[in-house]
Amino acid sequence: MNTTYYRMELRRVVRDYMSLFFTAVLPAFLYVIFGASQGYSQEMLPTGEGNVAFYMMVSMAVYGAVTATTSIGGMAAVERMQGWGRQLGLTPMRDPQYVLVKTVLGLTVAAIPVTLIYALGFFTSAQGTGHLWVLTALLALVGAAMFSLYGLVFGLAFKTEGAVSAASGSLVILAFLGNLFFPLSGAMLMVAKFTPLYGIVALARYPVTDGWLISTDGPPVHEPLWVPVASVTVWLVIFATLAILLVQRGRGRQ
Amino acid sequence: MTTTAQSAVDLVGVTKTFRPPGADPVEAVRDIDLSIGRGEIVAFLGPNGAGKTTTLDMVLGLTDPTSGTVSVYGRAPRAAVLGGLVSAVLQTGGLLHDLSVRETVAVIASTYRDPQPVDEVLERAGLSALARRRVSKCSGGEQQRLRFALALLPNPDLLILDEPTAGMDVGARHEFWATMRAEVSAGRTVIFATHYLEEADTFAERIVMIARGAVVADGATQEIRARATGRTVTATLPPDRLDGAVRQLRATDSVTDVDTAGDRVVVRAGDSDAVALLLLSELGGTGLEITTGSLDDAFLALTSDGAQR
Repeated sequence: MNTTYYRMELRRVVRDYMSLFFTAVLPAFLYVIFGASQGYSQEMLPTGEGNVAFYMMVSMAVYGAVTATTSIGGMAAVERMQGWGRQLGLTPMRDPQYVLVKTVLGLTVAAIPVTLIYALGFFTSAQGTGHLWVLTALLALVGAAMFSLYGLVFGLAFKTEGAVSAASGSLVILAFLGNLFFPLSGAMLMVAKFTPLYGIVALARYPVTDGWLISTDGPPVHEPLWVPVASVTVWLVIFATLAILLVQRGRGRQ
Repeated sequence: MTTTAQSAVDLVGVTKTFRPPGADPVEAVRDIDLSIGRGEIVAFLGPNGAGKTTTLDMVLGLTDPTSGTVSVYGRAPRAAVLGGLVSAVLQTGGLLHDLSVRETVAVIASTYRDPQPVDEVLERAGLSALARRRVSKCSGGEQQRLRFALALLPNPDLLILDEPTAGMDVGARHEFWATMRAEVSAGRTVIFATHYLEEADTFAERIVMIARGAVVADGATQEIRARATGRTVTATLPPDRLDGAVRQLRATDSVTDVDTAGDRVVVRAGDSDAVALLLLSELGGTGLEITTGSLDDAFLALTSDGAQR
């Protein structure tokens, strides 16, 4: 990998305080509000593998991670179309090298909120079986990688930095709809299963929930593993197809 | 060595047609044949939308021709770019605004296997004092010099400049060309697109005029300048001396074209005063007329719709 390019990209991320705040600090803050400081946070999950605070910690880590990957995917699309792609086209750097740098960058930046929130969880009230800390954190990161495609699609389609901000902003709505911020039930839960964040966050939490969904108005409901797996697969195909179509459209216009 | 190895760039029957969705296809480049030798300094001169940028994009491998072939040092354009033989200063965009000047150079340098040292390139492009400045805080001229610095990194044999001074004020333009001149003396092949006649005139050895996607004139700069800036002198000559006078006029320096219409002779020449003097004294001409066109008129005449090669 081109490490000079990677280090430069990392510096750009660190310099952009505002984005970094929304990526790292805001999800951590949400964890403290909705997770650590609530009375129910000490309650154990049905599996006994962790408590509610741990469950909220994983959820907010996923939220922070997808915010990071969405903005990096989106900015990659925008900067390429604003002429940087032409500049790189004049160098021996090949597209797969560029994609590799941006992918590793996305994972690095996504790791910032995950690390921060897990540290907060560790020092406050989150409890979980030892290896689940590592496993859920890795699942959050891998799942978030899919959302770099989500950002890429917005960037390719609308070609402005504003569109990328809008894509990051839309994650708040998708997080609510995806059963991420607040446990849904009934019809809302049914709708949730068809939204793109649902599968990622359900899979990241799976090691600690074993498929038992928390509910605010009744006993826990069990969901088989294939539901979130199917959700992630379908959305991955949708995002990838849209991205490929938009890249082809961009080429045809050159 | 093959014959193509003698030239830097070869375009054979190159056509590029854009097909925007829901609109009529646009023929940006129509059947261009062109060969540019090593070490030549060539200006692509033409109005906006003439097809200059599209042609250069094909030479750089940024876009493929619809038909025809483009080769650079006998290779496919992209292969020449990968080998560091070619680099370019592009018209717009192409920079990340949140990087510093030095970071931009360092990051592009990192994509080459064996780049020129970053500090040396900054020095040659006159950017040493601005190395730590953010790109977003650089003026248009400074950003253009940064693009030029990037183009120097692979130490290319062929340097392509697409309207390098567009949007610069007169001072910045002169400064830019002064820097260029120093770089070019190293025996590089240079192709630059411009719509400033004066730039083509002072900097290029050869001018290729492009209009509506086709080459409308191609020749040494002096030749094109004479065609573009020359005046037309007409006079009536004694019929018995007409043939001899035409021969003598054709042999005169600065005369580009001699025609006759009845007993009037029509002479196109760079130095119209000398021709007028010759016609009136030695050749016995009468009824002399001199017509002139501005540079821009001549340029328009060559590149407008009515003109044919």
